[in-house]
This record gives sequence, structure tokens and C-alpha cells, in this order.
Amino acid sequence: MTQLAETYACVPTAERGRGILISGSPKSNTILYTNGRSVIILNLDNPLDVSVYAEHAYPATVARFSPNGEWIASADVSGAVRIWGTRNEFVLKKEFKVLSGRIDDLQWSPDGMRIVACGEGKGKSFVRAFMDHSNFANCVRFSPDGSKFITVSSDKKGIIYDGKSAEKIGELSSEDGHKGSIYAVSWSPDGKQVLTVSADKSAKIWDISEDGNGKVKKTLTSPGSGGVEDMLVGCLWQNDHLVTVSLAGTISLFSATDLDKAPVLLSGHMKNVTSLVVLKNDPKVIVSCSYDGLIIKWIQGVGYSGRLQRKDNSQIKCLAAVEEEIVTSGFDNKIWRVPVHGDQCGDADSVDIGTQPKDLSLALLSPEIALVSTDSGVVILHGTKVVSTVNLGFTVTASAIAPDGMEAIIGGQDGKLHIYSITGDILKEEAVLEKHRGAVSVIRYSPDVSMFASGDLNREVVVWDRVSREVKLKNMLYHTARVNCLAWSPDSRMVATGSLDTCVIIYEVDKPASSRLTIKGAHLGGVYGLAFTDQYTVVSSGEDACVRVWRLTPQS
Amino acid sequence: MANAASGIAVHDDCKLRFLELKAKRTYRFIVFKIEEKQKQVIVEKVGEPNQGYEDFTASLPADECRYAVYDFDFVTEENCQKSRIFFVAWSPDTSRVRSKMIYASSKDRFKRELDGIQVELQATDPTEIGLDVIKSRAS
Repeated sequence: MTQLAETYACVPTAERGRGILISGSPKSNTILYTNGRSVIILNLDNPLDVSVYAEHAYPATVARFSPNGEWIASADVSGAVRIWGTRNEFVLKKEFKVLSGRIDDLQWSPDGMRIVACGEGKGKSFVRAFMDHSNFANCVRFSPDGSKFITVSSDKKGIIYDGKSAEKIGELSSEDGHKGSIYAVSWSPDGKQVLTVSADKSAKIWDISEDGNGKVKKTLTSPGSGGVEDMLVGCLWQNDHLVTVSLAGTISLFSATDLDKAPVLLSGHMKNVTSLVVLKNDPKVIVSCSYDGLIIKWIQGVGYSGRLQRKDNSQIKCLAAVEEEIVTSGFDNKIWRVPVHGDQCGDADSVDIGTQPKDLSLALLSPEIALVSTDSGVVILHGTKVVSTVNLGFTVTASAIAPDGMEAIIGGQDGKLHIYSITGDILKEEAVLEKHRGAVSVIRYSPDVSMFASGDLNREVVVWDRVSREVKLKNMLYHTARVNCLAWSPDSRMVATGSLDTCVIIYEVDKPASSRLTIKGAHLGGVYGLAFTDQYTVVSSGEDACVRVWRLTPQS
Repeated sequence: MANAASGIAVHDDCKLRFLELKAKRTYRFIVFKIEEKQKQVIVEKVGEPNQGYEDFTASLPADECRYAVYDFDFVTEENCQKSRIFFVAWSPDTSRVRSKMIYASSKDRFKRELDGIQVELQATDPTEIGLDVIKSRAS
């Protein structure tokens, strides 16, 4: 039996030059936002309390609660709107195609009976043109009582109109105003203040007077590196929480009653999380890495624990980590070794290995030895020194080096596993194992080094005995798409495999493959990272940019 | 008679054994094999009624095709004892292409001889004849 223990949610998808929409529940402190095809429901009071709705077939753009909080309407880029229940496993009430193109925003009528949607393409939308801005009008919001509405624009201005006559009644003062495009605006529940966020990386609270003019009450800034990624693109005034979202996806929570209090920062991944490593010294710290180069540390039971500040932000394809060091490779020809102290990365040392690295593994007992596989061979590194470059004569697709650094297993495009012994800088082929019927995608030694497991593109996984090189467990064919990742439990008794088919399957090595545990739909889009934190806890990550912790209850 | 698309005949023994399984419940399962030289389907193995599903899957070779019939007993939600006769077309991915072709083209003709099959299952690897698959197809 498996049970979802924790979800470390992804952050809203944000792109430059465009605001994003986040909406809140009328009843509780829950907010809604979208990432890829998922709608995320996050509890601001407890960020680990998060649910994901993954039923859209196209990237979702906006989601809003109905006025009574019972239903959520969400829309996507294909012009479809789905209305589903907040409770009861998100049962679908209705789905219809509203527009022929992307839906940019939607709103419930106060009685909860109608929805208005606007966007691209032909379709039903009620639009009235207001020409008071000189640049893109990014956001328009009615005040809670409907007496006014405010529009904000990339021309750095905010204009307030009368809610009934649509006449302009005032504007946000330019004194102490935003110095960049204003992307979003949100009214306070009492309709007397608004919160605006801007590309100038700040959020401002304005007091709206009766005559319709606004004056800055307070400017809020979140700590950040000061780069483009700190531009604020979304905001929401949810009861006592002021929520701002940056381009990098960081959600900052300010308190409306205590504006000087430092904000709570929530973050996560925005893109496919391709690797997951559990740091050896503290089993509860999980390091996840997405291909855009973002490395985040999570603490089990607590959630987001910090972002690893890297000196350069290049993309990462492979990642391996030990206690105080992270080794990464990206899409250039370099391998980077980064010492890690707390949340800060030290100066990275890089080595150019001549061709693009395809797979990377560290000898865990002596981590200065690294094995990097390239298209046609392998490179052995000691620290940042290339010890040897070997052309193996076949297309290499996966590799693993034993913890003691004396043996390496290289998997090829043809499915064959080649076992080499390593002496110094010489590789000697000891055996070739044939069982896989597809290119080998992942190879992992068991923690006690008595076995190793390999997975391939043909959905199959095999567990081998390391000494005899015989098959120990076969028929592990239960995935329905390629196997992406593989992890051993600390006692070497269980193997977990993750696949493009979104499932995680856990096998016990001593039992037949048919008595497996399956976690279906672990990650929309595919599971790409897997690790065990302890005997009965598996952490998985995937294309939906979320990291999930699963608890296994042992079967008798 | 040999009038199948592939020219394979069905030995009379196959039909006899099947009728015994169906009417008198004398076997748990029957495994059929196509003998290429004699160009006919013959009975390769039968299982006693006390044998179980594990014995059945063990008698299917890992890299050769077979046809099989299995009498599956189960209890429904309303607590009724029921049984279903399964026809399994076993065609593992690891078997030879020629073998798969012959079995595939002779299957329809052969099935027509076995009157009373309730569920048909095609399996290309051991995961597709798992007990959970049988249970889900039974109802």
C-alpha cells in the first residue's frame, strides 16, 4: 500500500512581459494558480497542504473559485472551460468549449450561475474598449462592492473608473509610483486599498480615496538577487495575506496587518524536475534540480527550504551530489564541480571534456572519481582532471560507477550492458550482458553493492547479481512506457522505478515481480527523478514540476 | 480438415479435451501447441483441477507461442461462486516472428473449434497474464 505523504508544489508558470492570474477562495486562505496542464490549489496557511487538478489536455491559463467556494472553473489555451467541484475528488460538473483560442481570463457572476471568459479567437466575450492607457492594459478588476474598477498597464499607470458609468474618476498617483510596467492589481476585501505589482520588482499598496484617486501607502519588496527573475507578475489580496508572485515563480506572502514583517517565501520548480538526490548526511534533505538550472533544497515535513544560489544559471542535464559537493553537466561540454556550504554554492570548478556529457555518476565512497559517459565512450575524472578518455566503439546511453570506483557498467543503444573493471585510467571489459530489448536508460548499484538494476527504453527493468552477473529478478515489465529513473531502498531490498507513463512501481527483490506496488499518476507527464529517503519513504519528481513524498506501508 | 488461412489443421483431441473441461471439469487448463511438421494444433499439456494459476503460467514457455484454455473460478461481490473459461493467445515478444505469424493466422480457425470460450486474452509478456489482469477481465 502506498500513500501520498507530502507534495512540494510547483510554482505558477510565468513568462516575461505578461502578468499571471492567481485567484483566491472566498471562504478560506486557499489560492489557485496554473502550471503547465495542472491547476494547483495551495493553502497559504500551510503550504504543504496542496492539491493538483490535472485533467486539462492543454496548458491551463486561469482558474477561479465560484462565489460560494464549491466549484472551480478553469480554462486552457484550447479555449475549453472545465467546471469541477472543490471537494469529492474534483468531480467534473461540465466542460465546454468557449472560444477557439487561448482563454486569458474568466470570472464567475456573483450568483455563481454564469461565467464570462475572454481571450483570443472568436467566441462569446463582453469587451468594451477603454483608450486611456498608452501601452498594454494588463489587468482590470472591479472593487468588491462593484462601485469602481481599476485598470493597470505597461505604461506604469493605474486608472480608476466608476463601476456603473465607466467614466474615469481618478488615477493612481505618479508620486512614488511604479517605475515599470504594472502587471496585476488586487483589491483589499474592504475595497479601500489596492495592491499592485510591477516589473520594477516591487509591490505597492495604495489607499483609494472616495474621489477615486490613489496614493501610495507602502512599498513592499522581497529579498532577491535583483535580477530579471524578481520582476513581479502576479498578485492577490487574500484576507490577511498579500501574495505576490515573481517571474521566477517565488511566492511571497506579506501580512496585510503587519506590513513591516518580512515576507514568507515559497518557491518550487516551474519546469520538469529531472533529478532528485537525497543528501547522505541528513536523510531528510532532498535536493531537486530542473533542467532550467534551478536547484532547490527541501526538508521532509517542512517543505521548501531554500534555493541553491549558483554563480551561473546555465541549464542542467545531469546532476550527482554528495554531502558537500554537487557535480552537474549541462548542454555544453563542461562538467562543473560546485562545493556547497548551506545554501550557498562556492566557486565552481569546471572541466571541458571535449564532447557533450550524456550521463554522470560519482563513486560514492570516493566522490572525486566521476564517470561521465558521452556519445561514443566514457571519460574518467579525478576532481577536475581528465584521467582518461576512452572510445568504446558503441553508442553509450547510460552508465554507473561502483561506489569503490573499481568497476563501471556501461549500457548501450543496443540494450547490452558492458561491465568494465577500472585500474587507474585503464578500462578492461569483463563481461557483456544481454537481456534488454531497448536502449539502456538507467543503471544503479544497490547500496550494499551486491546487485545492480538496469532499466531500458522498452519498459523493462532487470535486477542482476553483481558477482555472478546473473539475472536476479526479471519480468519487471509493468511499465507501459520508457523507464526514466530507478532507485534502491537503503537496505537494498526494494527497487523503485519511474517511467514516462507517470507511474512509480516498487518491487521487492525477494518476491516475484508480479507482487509489485504501483503508484499511478504520480506525476503528470512522466516521472523523472526517484530516491528513497528511508526504508519506507520514496520521493519522486516529474514533468509536472512537483516533488512528492510517498509512504509505503509494508505488506505482511 | 485444413482450411485455415495458414493451412493448419486441428487435431480431434483438442476439441475432445476442451469439451471435457467445459462439461465435466476434468482439467484446470489445457495448453495447445502447433506442430509445424504435422501442420496441426495438438494438446501439449493438461492441468489437474487442483492446480492453480501459478502452475498454468509456469507451463507457458517464455519464448515460444502457445494457445491455452484456463477455467478460472472466482467469487463475485454478491458472494456467488462463478467460473469463466479463458482463451489465452500466448505470443511473447521474445519468440520468433515465424512462430507469431503462424499462431496469429490460425487463431480464429482454432477458436471456432472450441465452442464455449467466454473471455479471450492476448498476452505478449508475463505481465499481461498476471492474476490481476485475469480477475479484472472475469467480471
